[in-house]
This record gives sequence, structure tokens and C-alpha cells, in this order.
Amino acid sequence: MAQVRLVDLGKTYDGASANTIKGLDLEVADGEFLVLVGPSGCGKSTTLRMIAGLEEPTAGEIWISDRRVDGLEPRERDIAMVFQNYALYPHMTVAQNMSFGLRLAKVPKAEIRQRVETAAETLGLRDYLNRHPKALSGGQRQRVAMGRAIVREPGVFLFDEPLSNLDAQLRGQMRTEIRRLHDRLSATTVYVTHDQVEAMTLADRVVVLKDGRIEQQGSPQELYDRPATRFVAGFLGSPQMNMLSGEVRQGALDLGGGSQLALSADRAAPLEGRKLDVGIRPEAFRLAAPEVAVIHGRAEMVELLGATSLVHFVHAGQACTALLEPSEAPRAGQPLHLGLSPDRISLFDADSGRAV
Amino acid sequence: MTALRRPLALTLILLLILACFFAPFLWIVSNSFKPQLGIFSDVTPISWRTFLPLEPVLDNYRSLFERTNILRALLNTAIVSVGQVTLTLILCAMAAYALTRIKFRGSQVVFVVILLTFLLPVEAMLVPLFQVVSGLGLANSLLGVMIPWIASPFGLFLLKQAFEELPRDLEDAARIDGAGHVRTFFSIILPNVKVPLLTLGLVTFLFSWNSFLWPLVIAQNPDIQLIQVAIAQQGSPTQLPNWGETFAGATVATLPLILLFLVLQKYFTQGMAMSGIKG
Repeated sequence: MAQVRLVDLGKTYDGASANTIKGLDLEVADGEFLVLVGPSGCGKSTTLRMIAGLEEPTAGEIWISDRRVDGLEPRERDIAMVFQNYALYPHMTVAQNMSFGLRLAKVPKAEIRQRVETAAETLGLRDYLNRHPKALSGGQRQRVAMGRAIVREPGVFLFDEPLSNLDAQLRGQMRTEIRRLHDRLSATTVYVTHDQVEAMTLADRVVVLKDGRIEQQGSPQELYDRPATRFVAGFLGSPQMNMLSGEVRQGALDLGGGSQLALSADRAAPLEGRKLDVGIRPEAFRLAAPEVAVIHGRAEMVELLGATSLVHFVHAGQACTALLEPSEAPRAGQPLHLGLSPDRISLFDADSGRAV
Repeated sequence: MTALRRPLALTLILLLILACFFAPFLWIVSNSFKPQLGIFSDVTPISWRTFLPLEPVLDNYRSLFERTNILRALLNTAIVSVGQVTLTLILCAMAAYALTRIKFRGSQVVFVVILLTFLLPVEAMLVPLFQVVSGLGLANSLLGVMIPWIASPFGLFLLKQAFEELPRDLEDAARIDGAGHVRTFFSIILPNVKVPLLTLGLVTFLFSWNSFLWPLVIAQNPDIQLIQVAIAQQGSPTQLPNWGETFAGATVATLPLILLFLVLQKYFTQGMAMSGIKG
């Protein structure tokens, strides 16, 4: 297996005014499942393609284990990649697709057959080995793409948004399969996605990219609970974190609209008088009696999701969402009184967007 | 009632169009089986006699094969056509791939300049082409007949469109699998543009087989005459044309094309639809 190390990695495309990737430093440990996540254009796919050798970095170094690999051809890097649109060769059968790389590497025929059969067994593709990709469903094609990567027994697996073309149900299923496969092979994996659910469910460690820089990295729970910036807070979590404008006055957080939330003295003191953005996860709200509630409003719309209900309301001119038990959720138009614990809020500087 | 009438009207229109296209072929074939005198006496009034040889004779074919060098001309045409198809496919595929996939400054300008040559009529290029090909010592050779047309702007355009529609991830996947440019081109790219390749092959074959003016100019030696020239020149300049032989020659020359088209017409229509160009 292998580690991946990116040192001060940079990429500027010809004619582009700004760098796509700026001084990226990142280490992926042996056997780790690392997810690069971020909005479109944040440079996550470019980073992955640079690791694969499909893009030349314009600055920095790429190391895989103890070898510097930037400048090497993809085949010399000990990697395999799974693409978003599967990139299966349409004129080849499943078996030929999976074995193409091995045939080029002049692996003995018997070994190729054995590796293809083992991978097909693992991925449930045994009955499809002689079919062409067009005769397969989306999920099966994605499995073939994974099979093509597995048979090469690479040090590092690279996934470029592999589930984006699948429907929601299949996506969930494939997510589980990918994680199970990773656990079985213990392969170092770099996985790119813009889907925060994939990032949260698959990763040992999530790296959030924005404008070609690392915004924050850590375990999924860490990022969810303690986002370092307003951007990360808004990006991770569905429904999104509510963001209210606030200011600390005389030891209490003023959330506008007459709402006040008491803060502990040591938290409030350094923030006195500062303009803040207050991040509140929808599930941090709970129904409260009017006299102890922090937020008072009116439920504008209620979405029943079965296990939970999403209650939409407006506070101090900002649209908010609370996640409540269906049994306690009010009906649309009814008054809404919500309580909030101070240790379940995230505070960000209103100007810099960084956590305070 | 209207629903029934519409397909009926459409069928009638299609039958009329079919008749317009098919009648000349039928006339040629029918005349090839008529004696010289019968050909003109049957032209008017137009009746089934015009299109059917009531007393078919094989004299025209007999004299065509005995008196003229038609077999030689057929062989020459086959060599030129197959050669031209092969060289066009190789050259256009490689050029189109390079123009689609290899990024270099001015590639678009190169492409447009190549396409502009598409607009020049063959007649306008005839004299300079003759000078160039003669200068290369290729006049009166089969290579000289085919060489000016193998770099086909139409072929480049058709294949460039096809390559552009292929997802680039396929090439990336091949690179990851360890294939170089050449391997990727032959093992991954070409097998996936089979339809445009067949279309281009067929169009080139038709163009080459039917070409008349350039072979007339460049190949004056009777031994390397091509079929269309041979048919046109089968009579001596002092004699009246032997129309029966001419029609028999035209029938013989058309037959391979019809067979080829029947076998490959699926690809031809698919490819033409892809290129956005009418045949």
C-alpha cells in the first residue's frame, strides 16, 4: 500500500487569471479513505487528476510512498482511477475492459484471468463478463469501472465523483459497497465529490476545498460539529446550517428580532461588541415554552419527511429551518417557539467568516 | 379518414420521388440490352417499352468486353478507389485526431484553412494540380490519380466531429491503463468511430469510382485509364458513339457501387446524419 504526499502543489491553466490550485499541502496516510469535497470549480478534480498524472502541476511536488511521481506517466505511479462517467471502453466486453491495463502491462494470461475473475466475484459481475457496457445498468457499469481499478492492485485508488451519474437509491447502495470494498482491500483512497453526504459517510478524513485552497480538514464529525469557517459550516450538513446575524452585548448574544441567548462569561467577554454570524444546525433547535424560548416566530411551511419534520420560518428577516419530531412540529401558520443551547451554536466573525 | 389519407399521400409522393431517381437507372440498364436502333426508337412516346427491353440482346456487353479494355479499366478503378479509401482513412483519421486532441496555438486556424479548401471547385485546381503531380513524376500513374484527393477536408471535418463526441475520459482511462498515444488511437479511439470511418470510406469510394475529369487529365495512357474515362472514350473520335456499348459500360460501372451501397447503407445514412452534411 502507499501514502500520498502533496507538497506546495499548484496549478495554473494557460490563459487563466487566477491559480486553480494554490500551494496545496496534504498527506494521505497508508490505507486512509480521504475525501476531497467542495463546490464546482474549487480544484478538487484538478488535484485528483494531478495525482493521477492526467494534469501537470505548475508548482510543487507529488509523492507516492517514497517516490516523487510528478513527471512520471500515470502507468508508472501505481494508481488506478474510477471516472464519473465510468469511461468504459464501449467496444470491449466487461472482461476485456477490466483486463486491458493488465494486457498492456504484459501480465501472464492465466494471472489476468484469475485477477479478473476474483474482482468480478467481489463485485457481483461474474455473469456479465462477456457483456458490453451498453448492455449494463448504470450501477453495473460503475462496478466494472471499479473492477478495472481493482484488478491492477494499485497502491492508491482515485475516485472522481464516481456516483454522480446514479440515481439516489443506487447512490446509497454503491456508497456502502465502496466503503466495504475499501475496508476489505485497505487501499489508500482519494475520493472526490461535491456531495457532502458522500463525504460524510465515506471518509476517514474530509478535506474541504475552496478556490484551490484547503478550507478545513478533519474527521467528518469534527467538521460537522466544529466548522472552521462559515463556508464549511454552510457546505456540510443537509439541510444547511442556519446562519443568523448576531452581536454580543453585555454577555448575551443578540440574534435580532428581540432574541437573546445567554453565553458563558469566558466565551462572551472576548466577543463583546463584535458583529458575528451565528450558525445553528436545524437539529439544534427544540420546541420550548414561550417564556423560556429564544426564538419566537411563525411556521411558514412544514415538510414532513417521515422520521422528522422540517419547519421553515423567518427570523429577523432571515429564512431558517428547524428539524423537529413530526409529533411536535406545528402546522403551517401556527406560532413557533424554539429553544437553543449555547454550546450547539457556531460563531463566525461576520467579516472574515472564520470561527471565533 | 384523414389519418389514412396522410400516409397514402406520403406514399404517393415517395413513390414519385423514387420513380424520378430510379427511372434513369432503369433506362440505362434497359438500353444496355437493346440493339443500337431500338434505343432511340423507344424513347418517345414514354411507355413501358422505354424501360423494358422486349427482345433483350447481349451484343452490347459482348462487344464491350471484346472490343474495349473495360476489364483493365475496372481493375485500375478498383486499385485507385481502394488505395484512395485506405490512404484517406489513415491520413484524415490521424490529422483529425491531432487537431481534436493535441492542443497547439493556431490549431483552429489550421482547421479552418483546411476546410476552406473544401470550397474550391476541382476545375479551379486542375491546372496547378496537374503541374504539381507531373512535377512529382506521377503523371500517367495510378498513384498520381489518387494522391491529390487523399487529404480530404470533408474527411477531416467528419472525423473531427466524431472524435469530439468521444468522451475524453476514455483516453484518460487508457492512459491510466498504460496506453500511449498510438495504442490509444488504434485500440480505443478508432474502434469507437467505426460508423464515421465507414461513411468516409464509402463516400471516398463513390467519389473515386465516379471521378472523371482528373483521371481524364492526368492518366492519358490507355493502360491506366479509369472506368468512367474508358466508357466515355470507347468510340474513336471519328465515329458516332456506340450508345449500346456506352449503356452497357455504365451498367457495369454502376453495379459495384450499388452492391457496396446496399451492404453499407446503414452506416452511410448514420454517418451522414452525424456529420450534418447532405450526401
